[in-house]
Formats: sequence, structure tokens, C-alpha cells
Amino acid sequence: MTAAVEFQSVSRHFGPVKAVDSVDLTIAEGAFFAMLGPSGSGKTTCLRLISGFETPTGGAIRIFGEDVSATPPHLRNVNTVFQDYALFPHMNVRDNVAYGLMVKGMGRAARLARAEEMLALVKLDGYGDRKPAQLSGGQRQRVALARALVNEPRVLLLDEPLGALDLKLREAMQDELKALQHRLGITFIFVTHDQHEALSMADSLAVFNEGRIAQIGTPAEIYDRPATRFVADFVGSSNVLPPDLTRALGGPAQWASLRPENTRLAASGPVTGTVTALRYLGSGTRVVLDLGGTEVAALLPAGQPLPEPGAALSIAFDPAALHVMGDAA
Amino acid sequence: MSREAIFPARGPADRLTAAFWRHPRLLLGLLLTPPLLWLGVVYLGSLAALLLQSFYSIDEFSGMVVPEFTLKTYAELLRPSNYDVILRTLLMSAAVTLGCAVIAFPIAYYAARFARGRLKALFYLGVMLPLWSSYLVKVYAWKLILAKEGIITWAAESTHTSGILNAILALPVIGGNSLSTSYVGMFLVFTYVWLPYMILPMQAALERVPTSMLEASQDLGATRAQTFRTVILPLALPGVIAGSIFTFSLTMGDYIIPQIVGNSANFIGMAVYQLQGTAGNIPLAAAFAVVPILIMLVYLTLARRAGAFDAL
Repeated sequence: MTAAVEFQSVSRHFGPVKAVDSVDLTIAEGAFFAMLGPSGSGKTTCLRLISGFETPTGGAIRIFGEDVSATPPHLRNVNTVFQDYALFPHMNVRDNVAYGLMVKGMGRAARLARAEEMLALVKLDGYGDRKPAQLSGGQRQRVALARALVNEPRVLLLDEPLGALDLKLREAMQDELKALQHRLGITFIFVTHDQHEALSMADSLAVFNEGRIAQIGTPAEIYDRPATRFVADFVGSSNVLPPDLTRALGGPAQWASLRPENTRLAASGPVTGTVTALRYLGSGTRVVLDLGGTEVAALLPAGQPLPEPGAALSIAFDPAALHVMGDAA
Repeated sequence: MSREAIFPARGPADRLTAAFWRHPRLLLGLLLTPPLLWLGVVYLGSLAALLLQSFYSIDEFSGMVVPEFTLKTYAELLRPSNYDVILRTLLMSAAVTLGCAVIAFPIAYYAARFARGRLKALFYLGVMLPLWSSYLVKVYAWKLILAKEGIITWAAESTHTSGILNAILALPVIGGNSLSTSYVGMFLVFTYVWLPYMILPMQAALERVPTSMLEASQDLGATRAQTFRTVILPLALPGVIAGSIFTFSLTMGDYIIPQIVGNSANFIGMAVYQLQGTAGNIPLAAAFAVVPILIMLVYLTLARRAGAFDAL
């Protein structure tokens, strides 16, 4: 099977700034792929390289096997849902959705009928006559989605698709996007800085750091076996243990990661420290201990007795939960 | 450190501030009264007085204004010679507006999309600088530039393009003896002096169009020309209309440029100037002055009907 999108040591440098630095990436056809990373990590630039709004300064990008380095955005069968939705304010919703068909020269009746179908797909039937300004954030997002899908792209790009929505709506949209992708069977690539979003929606993801990919894998692989300290810390705020602490806790003398939810508090142990902070999270409480200069967090389920700040405690965990990493930062 | 929940008023200023806080409309009212008086009484009042004058007429024997309501003056306005003045002014204003729009758009687009930092400052300086010098000086300078012995004729001769210049001057109606005595020359001078009034509102409108909207258009398959026609132009249209209101009405009312450049044909501004001055026919001058107002109202209504303000 050909890959939907393939990066071959792709770079995008802006003067001395290496926004994307020799990235290799293969995204399978039909995948729901996430690019996860903090702001400035190069994930959005990668998305713009696929859509054609940035051109690589090095390397090659292939979309379904074809080199697109000389192809302008309007000739790529790739569509984007923009972060600010970028709906045309002077057109009503139906004309917005039909825009892609209009510029391709489809007749008015046919394209408006098609736009209505797309609006039904995103559950906005009956909203065609409204202006974008008359819609809520969630509705605008759906219009942007319908507008991007009307051209039947082979790859759909979503730039922080849920960033502007409130929590409840965000969760509902996550399920809906997932269902939509399943139904259409096309490749979805989305950019996000929210690890929960990436882990729950994507079937594979790339974690970006400083213009490079730190790790590629399925959500479970990334979460359970982070390749680098950065990934461990960024995805799920894992405890990153330096070699000497790992050894003191019974592991090998190497960097390791330990999930807060796999960490328990213990009255005594090989290393003791003091409780420095408690953060109530609703479903539990995050207790932070200072273990010889390293902050280690344990997630206490709700209902358990809480320690006092300043109390001297140690930690305990199932040895299988300790994930030993390489030396990579 | 004081521990009171409420501090005592320190004087009338505190009490006044508190009064404004309790009655927010009081401050707004105080702020708005002087400008509203100015706008309502001085500005619109004088316009109403002008309108009223146009419904009076002049006694042909004594030359005195007869303060009685009549449409006689408006009938006079539509006499062929006066009608020609109106039509000439209208065509010149339309041509100047179009010329300004065509020249201003690329400049405004560049300034809005690409110019940053020092380049942007340079842009504003470049656009505003001509406005700082005297209008009369600029017009006379242009008369010299366009004159038969002027720099344009000289440049055309030196580059062996006199043929083109002569062909332009040989055009019927808009041509003439030299650029400075032709409608072409007048068009150039008008376009020059009013150009900043077109660039600035256009640039402001274009600046409000987010880049992502242009990218969305391209992303959906639009070529550059399609993006321009279906996204940029409609979104910039309020700015273009605002600019055209300036260039159009400024050209319609101007009485200096047609006197200095051109073939001495009469324009609305000149007619008003002569009628209220030498001829002493205030009612007809007022009727002439009403014409640009009516034309602008028609223009704005048409623009509104065409959806020019939908993007506002």
C-alpha cells in the first residue's frame, strides 16, 4: 500500500531557525494521524508543508507517491480545516461550503445541492442561509469541516481543530471526528498540543520537539514506552527519573519514566522525601514529593487519606511499571 | 497600611468620579454634547441652510434673492449649458476614482500584506508626504510638468516617444494642444492629488482580511485570480467604496484644478465659485452644490444594493 504522505529528510529553515529539521515520516492511507508537540516544535509547519503553504528548504514530500515540491496548494488534492476556521464572512454557509466546487466551475444548482449534502453530513442541515457570524464556535467548526470535505480530498488536514472549543464540545467533537473519519475512510492528519486529544483520537502519532520527531508510534506505545525524556514528560507528564535515582529505587542505572498513576505513597522505602505540593484534580489528587532533588508525582485515587505538605514519605510501584529509556534527551 | 473597606472621598474630584461611576451615561452625555452641537447645528445646519437657498430664486431685474419657495432654480440647473457642466464633472470624477482605485490597489495590498516595520513607516510617509505640501503649489508644479515646454514633452523627445504623446493629445475631446490644457492632464493632476485618500482606506480594509482566508481559498482550489475576485475584492470593497467617496466627492467639488489645468471648460466647483461670487446668484450656486450630494446618495444606495457593505 502506498503511503498517503511521505517525508524524506524534509527541512524547513527560516534563516537560522530550523522550524523543521530533516524529518522522516510515513503516514499510511486511511490513518487518523496526530502531530503532537509544544508550540514552536514544527508540527504546524509540517502541516503547512503538506498543504503547500510552506515549501521545504531540503528533502522531498510525496503525497500518494507523487513528489509535490512543484505543486501549488490549489492543485493538491488535500484540504485543510484552519485553526480560526477562515470562513468567508461575506458568503452564507451554503456558499462557503460550495466554494471549492464553485472555483472548479461546477454549476450553481449542482454545487449547492452538494453543499446541502455536506451540511447534512456534519449535522448542520437547515443552516445554509446563515452567515458565519451568526453561528457558534462549534457550528463554525462543522462548516469548516464540510467546506474542506466537499472537494473529496484524499487527505484532510486539521490545524488544532478543537483548540477554540470548550471542554464539553471538544469531547463530543472528538468522537464525531473519529466517526466521520471512519465513515469516509480518508486520511486525517491533525496538529495538536493537547496530549489527551492526540492519544484519544489518533491511531498513530508523531511527537515533535524542536523541529524534529522525538517518537512515532501508536498512542499506547508512546504513552507506555516513551523513547525520550521529553516524550515521557510531555505526554502524560510522567515522572522522569535520573540514573542514580532509578538505581536507588531498584532499577538499572539509566534514565527511566514512571507514570504518576502507577506510583503509590509508602511510609518507608529506599529513598524518602518530603511532600512539596498537593493538587486536587477531582478524580484524584496529585501528590508531589521531592526525592533527593527530583520531583516525583503520585496520583492518589479519590477517597484515599491525603498526606500533609512537608510529611516525610517514600514511593512504591510495581517494577513492571518502570520504563527504562535510552540516553536521549 | 490602612485597613478600611472604604476610603473617605478626598475632595470634589473623588465625588465627581463617583457620580460618573453611578451614572455612566452622564459622562458620555457630557463628552458628546459639544461635538453633537457642532455636528448638528454648525455642520448639518449650514447644509440645511444651503439646501433651503436652492429653493429660492433670484429676481432678474434687481439681482436680489427672493426668499419664496420655488423650483425655478432647479429648472435652470437642467438647462443644456448647466447640464453639460454636471455631466462633465460626473465623468471626470468617475474617471479619477477609477484611476485612483487601479493605482492604489497594488500599493495598498503590498502595504497591508507584506510591508512590516521600517518599510511600513516608509509606506505611510510616502503616502502622506504629498499631503503636507500646499495644494496650490502641487497643482502649479503639475502645470509646469505637463506644459508644452515641460519635462514630459522633453522626456518624450529624449526617449523618442513623442509619437505616443502626440497620439494621446490627438485623441478627440480628451486630447488638446498640450497635456496642461487637456482633460488627460486634468485627470492626471486630480488622480495625483487625491490618490492618498484612496490608498489609506483600502489599506485599512485589506489589513483586516486574515491571511488564513486567502490560504483557505487557495486550499479549496482557487487560482490567484479567483481568490482575488471572490475573496479579496469583496472583503476590500468597503474600503474601496470609502476611498471612492473621497476621490469622487473631492473631484466633484474642486474648483481650482479645472481653472489651472485643462481647457477652461466649466466644472461644478467652478460654477459654484462664479455664481456665488461674480454673478451673485446664490440660489443657483446652492442648487449646483446639491448635485454632488444627490449623486453620492445615489452612488451609496447602488453600492449597498450590490452588497458592497455585506462584509462590514
